[in-house]
Amino acid sequence: MKEQKEKDLKISVKGNIRDLLAFKNLTSQRRKNIETASEEFKKSDSVNELAQSLHPAIQNLMISEIKEETKSAKTFKLIPDPDSDTEKLAYFRAGQFLSLKVNVGDVPITRPYSISSSPSDALRGFYEITIRKEDHGFLTEYIWNNWVIGTKIKTSGPNGYFYYDPIRDSKEIVGIAGGSGITPFKSMMKEIMEGRLSISLTLLYGSSEENDILFYEEFKEYESRHPEKIKLIHVLSCEEVSLEGCEQGFITADIIEKYCDFTNSSIFICGPQVMYDFIDKELSKFNLQPNRIRKEVYGELKDVVSLANYPKKMAEKSFKIKVKIGNLTKEIPAIAHESVLVAMERAKLAPPSICRSGQCGFCRSKLISGEIFVNPKNDGRRAADKHLNYFHPCSSYPLSNLEIEVPRS
Amino acid sequence: MIKEIREENVEDSYDVVVIGAGNGGLIAAAQLVIEGVKVALCEQHNLPGGFATSFVRGRFEFEGALHELCDYGSSSNKGAIRKLFEEDMGLNVDFIEIPEAFRLIINNPNEKLDVIVPFGREEFIDMMEREVPGSKDPIRNYIRLGEEITEAIAYITESEGNPDKEVLIGNYKNFLKTAPYTLDQVNNALKIPKRAQDILNAYWCYIGIPTSRINFTFYAAMHYYFLIRKAYIPKYRSHGYTAALESLIREKGGIVLYNTKVNKINVENGEIIGVETTKGDKIKTNHVISNASPTLVYNNLMFPKKEVPPQALKTMNARRHAISCFVVYLGLNKSAEELGINNYSYHIYDTTNTEEIYESFKTLNPPKAQATICLNNVLPECSPPGTCILSITAFFLPEAWEDVNPEDYFNLKYKIARHLINTFEFATKTSIRDYIEEIEIATPQTLARYTGTFGGSAYGYETDPWDSFMPRLMEMENEKYIKGLQFCGGFSANCQSYTNALLSGQVAAFLTIQDLKKKGDSE
Repeated sequence: MKEQKEKDLKISVKGNIRDLLAFKNLTSQRRKNIETASEEFKKSDSVNELAQSLHPAIQNLMISEIKEETKSAKTFKLIPDPDSDTEKLAYFRAGQFLSLKVNVGDVPITRPYSISSSPSDALRGFYEITIRKEDHGFLTEYIWNNWVIGTKIKTSGPNGYFYYDPIRDSKEIVGIAGGSGITPFKSMMKEIMEGRLSISLTLLYGSSEENDILFYEEFKEYESRHPEKIKLIHVLSCEEVSLEGCEQGFITADIIEKYCDFTNSSIFICGPQVMYDFIDKELSKFNLQPNRIRKEVYGELKDVVSLANYPKKMAEKSFKIKVKIGNLTKEIPAIAHESVLVAMERAKLAPPSICRSGQCGFCRSKLISGEIFVNPKNDGRRAADKHLNYFHPCSSYPLSNLEIEVPRS
Repeated sequence: MIKEIREENVEDSYDVVVIGAGNGGLIAAAQLVIEGVKVALCEQHNLPGGFATSFVRGRFEFEGALHELCDYGSSSNKGAIRKLFEEDMGLNVDFIEIPEAFRLIINNPNEKLDVIVPFGREEFIDMMEREVPGSKDPIRNYIRLGEEITEAIAYITESEGNPDKEVLIGNYKNFLKTAPYTLDQVNNALKIPKRAQDILNAYWCYIGIPTSRINFTFYAAMHYYFLIRKAYIPKYRSHGYTAALESLIREKGGIVLYNTKVNKINVENGEIIGVETTKGDKIKTNHVISNASPTLVYNNLMFPKKEVPPQALKTMNARRHAISCFVVYLGLNKSAEELGINNYSYHIYDTTNTEEIYESFKTLNPPKAQATICLNNVLPECSPPGTCILSITAFFLPEAWEDVNPEDYFNLKYKIARHLINTFEFATKTSIRDYIEEIEIATPQTLARYTGTFGGSAYGYETDPWDSFMPRLMEMENEKYIKGLQFCGGFSANCQSYTNALLSGQVAAFLTIQDLKKKGDSE
């Protein structure tokens, strides 16, 4: 075969000798190009710089203002910590969240909170997050006792996929918010007011009672200034409702139909876990295409035991987890109804985590041995990871003793 | 707590530190642990793969970068990558064959073209003859030449970079005589009609420089593997095999450190003495295999600065960083069949003028070229029934994105993405925009974010004839500026592409093992 080819194929580009010489000259040409090049270091790389400014791993912030919104909710205004290397805040898309990194005593934990201020506010130098105090909430009690003006806080860069996408979504947005799930919509509304988000938003906002409504006055003002773009309907679940023009009960299909043109809209939903189960049922009556519904993740499951396929008899069992993290190996206790991530945080390890909803994969770890339960609704693992025993500790629960390898955060 | 965090730090010594878990770094680390070498693999991101990755949005798992893997081959006629994975690594990962090379569409009314480029020597020649009567014989010669070139490269690889000149001149003369030239120069010498060259050259966007500059050897070799050995994609996306490699490295005793960016390569008297990381690790080692480019190593990582050889900076500055990618990932809630998307791979160009398109890479104007794949046409089960995954890739040089502000960045993404979707719909006479359930858009900034690559560059250094495979190889020894340092990945001597980056990892591992043995002998 080779001989035949030699016989048949005789290529000449510039002449036999010249081609072979040209080959020989390749190295001298290369050396010449190198010899005549500059020996300076390269100046900055603006592509990497923009990437860093949009997606910083850590933002060092400081509380500059605290506003009491309701009896149990506060808004914290955050600015760059002047003593840190954080000079500018990362720009973001209305609807995204920050993962707070807080040491509660000596327990390092993270929590995702939607940014309630607008992206334009970030350019002006601040973010706002609004936090509702939970009964016996491990983190929120700490925050209520400790956070004051001047407190320094570390957060992630902006994260999450709960934002309007002009290519995918309808310009008519129906927002369905429950409780503190209102915060990403506040960011969107402010951005509409700034003229930087060209959508119209009809927002159904469910609260348990009048006193729990967040941003009532601001929203009234937004609505009166841009009635063609912003419409707000309060839905109160308490028995007696005195607030004018609001609905009583839950956000049902009937209420959605009454106020919204759902057939031509994209529906954005953010609220507590129980609200999703309810809304799912209501929306199923409309038979909408899945590309018309966007849901924010709701953080860690409150009650994994209630899931249909969870092995309930395991719930109270205790296990040991052997964790390898960097060069450290440590055996820690765990309880079946708490996520592997929480077990590590309780043991004062500082594993990586951002969304705490199984979605972002930042906590991706290797399961060397043992069995876990993964919430099927929060299973954001890649297909290959399922086969190769990688898992997301934030949405996984131990069903036996485990041995795992976790990246450092 | 402070004490424990210190305990997490790595301060031992390792035979080799591999910087970056991209295609090259993973193979390098895997080959080293297989040979019993003590290895630490440091990766700044929290995943293996670099560009060779996947990500999940809603119901969809998107392929990050791969369109097709060349030189994989069938189980009966294994290519270099299948041999590497199955025989050298003992890896068990599924790859699926792609049905045809691609569908080529030229939109310019004066050059209008819509043709399916098949795999296989005879099928390809028949198609060319149909499209451009009279092109059969020169195309046959082109393929033969490609064959000789791949054989020559195989010989050079076997000779570990020290080929016998007599053998080269005796057996691979055509290879030698075409290696100094560009694709256009050799195609003209082969008397391939212009229209046939347009079809032949359609693969050029995967090299990323115009055909007047692409080195013929590099193009013809890739093209030959592609046409003859066909192309494959991994069943579980790139992450399928990169995660398998990661597992292998751990199982064989290697340590894989994620979220760990090497920020110093310590050098003393021209010799590597250790690395330091952003996590506070201080690892002693005399050997580094860097999947990070020479640009990043010499410009940013080497410490102290006075140890950076001026010649290394000159070499870096003489070379040009190749194009970056802009990718629109779409999860559609209709099947490919329902949408009329019948092919796996589409190359859609405004024009056949590659210089004109390359010039457009320097601006943020609407892209004039796209390479689009519909994963479901190879992997029907890659997304739920009634859905499909489409990803549209366009190209930019890093300089186009230099002056973008954060507040304009997202709108710019949408503007370009919209244009690409419109172009796809126009060229293929399909309608997809109403069925978008998930959309994600990657830019040069995204590539930089996840890999740290300089300028967001995805394709290594540009492969003009003077900086293509052969001159890089011939000058490898001369351009080894630091003792104990080897490069792998798309910026290494092997040049870019998944295939080359993977193979480069093994080369770097072998060269490092040689060095380790030499040292062992002398001690």
